[in-house]
Amino acid sequence: MVETCYIPKDLAEALRIRKETGAHPIAGGTDLMVSHRRGTGVVPKFPWPVMIITQLKELQKIEEEDGEVSIYAGSTCHEIEVAELVPYQVRKAASLMGAQSLRNLATIGGNICNASPKGDLPVPLIMLDARVELVSATGKRQMLLDEFIDGPKRTKLQDDELLARIIIPQPKAPFTYLWYRKIGTRRANAISKLSMSAAATVDTHGIIVDFRSANGASGPKVARSRAVEETIIGLSVDRLAERLPAFLDAYDVILSPQAMPQYRRSSTRRMLEFFLSEVSKRPDTTIIE
Amino acid sequence: MTRDIQFVLNGKDVAITCDPLKRLLDVLRDDFGLFGTKEACGEGECGACSVLKDSKIITTCMVPMGSVQGCEIMTIEGLRETARGKCIIEAFADGGAVQCGFCIPGMVIAAESLLASNPEPSEEDIRLGISGNLCRCTGYDLIVESIRLAAKRGNGLW
Repeated sequence: MVETCYIPKDLAEALRIRKETGAHPIAGGTDLMVSHRRGTGVVPKFPWPVMIITQLKELQKIEEEDGEVSIYAGSTCHEIEVAELVPYQVRKAASLMGAQSLRNLATIGGNICNASPKGDLPVPLIMLDARVELVSATGKRQMLLDEFIDGPKRTKLQDDELLARIIIPQPKAPFTYLWYRKIGTRRANAISKLSMSAAATVDTHGIIVDFRSANGASGPKVARSRAVEETIIGLSVDRLAERLPAFLDAYDVILSPQAMPQYRRSSTRRMLEFFLSEVSKRPDTTIIE
Repeated sequence: MTRDIQFVLNGKDVAITCDPLKRLLDVLRDDFGLFGTKEACGEGECGACSVLKDSKIITTCMVPMGSVQGCEIMTIEGLRETARGKCIIEAFADGGAVQCGFCIPGMVIAAESLLASNPEPSEEDIRLGISGNLCRCTGYDLIVESIRLAAKRGNGLW
């Protein structure tokens, strides 16, 4: 009989099983165990071989090296939420994902590889230019998370690879202002109707030297446009108000017309308008709420 | 295809031979006869199947047995024998928190999980702490009051 569920003892064994059988990893189980459930007292059934990687210690670390923070794929939302090394918006997004019971199970690797357009963690991670490291029995490679997520429920993960870690580079200068907002229904377990992460760096002369913004649940993948961001980089905060309408119109275009009912567009516009008008007032607090 | 899985259940070492994809929820109810852990939604939305895994609250409907090897699982049947569990359960009874009772084992687990990390929770903290647990009878107010009562009476327990 062909074995359909493996429990590798370490990462090397997991990579060998992955190469030989193409088994899909189950980490927290919060997506896969639910989508393949068959009712009370009946064992869930999967159309492909699976391997349970929940207990792989090599994938359960959050560490910093050369100014870059690595979140290993098996880290849970709760572990990310309480990790001081992790940037604010990623911690905030993790803290708003479902109830405590879900955050104790759900992993960052699952949230990314599930590649739901409504996934919460990719939004601040893509804003932060995060990279993914993919490992296989024969090697490893890195790419931008923004490229790794190919479309709804699609990633560039190969059949012999596993996502090992997410690497968050440090911005050139620390961000001066940060914003994160998730709009959902029920506080616990709500799927995002819209989420947004933004950050700005203003230098001592009042010049915007960095600005980024990313939206979730607003198209087939996370919406971010460096070209639109650049239209306000280099600008003095004093001139932000006059440029704002043109910027907001340009930003609107990067949101998918199919996936965005009008309220999502108008909410995005109001959030960005609010964040940037706060930035132009140069408040003392870093986190804008 | 079965596996031998050992874990600690309510303080005792136990072992079971089962499909590694069998849900912890089904093992607790069908194999160990611990019916305090309930199934309602089966998709992690309602919290009725909550237990503590290594002292952290989880919903057992999402957990395959293959991820439980070596873990410490505490269900309501174990928690009710502890001083903390007794304190919460008495506060629920005295505070009128229980109507039909179906959600209550999960609520008690959520209360323990909350108080363990925050022994003096505000009303907002309590509402957040039980936000993963649905109750269709009470409207939550008396549950919130009862957790507040447990926190007060439990002085030093957490």
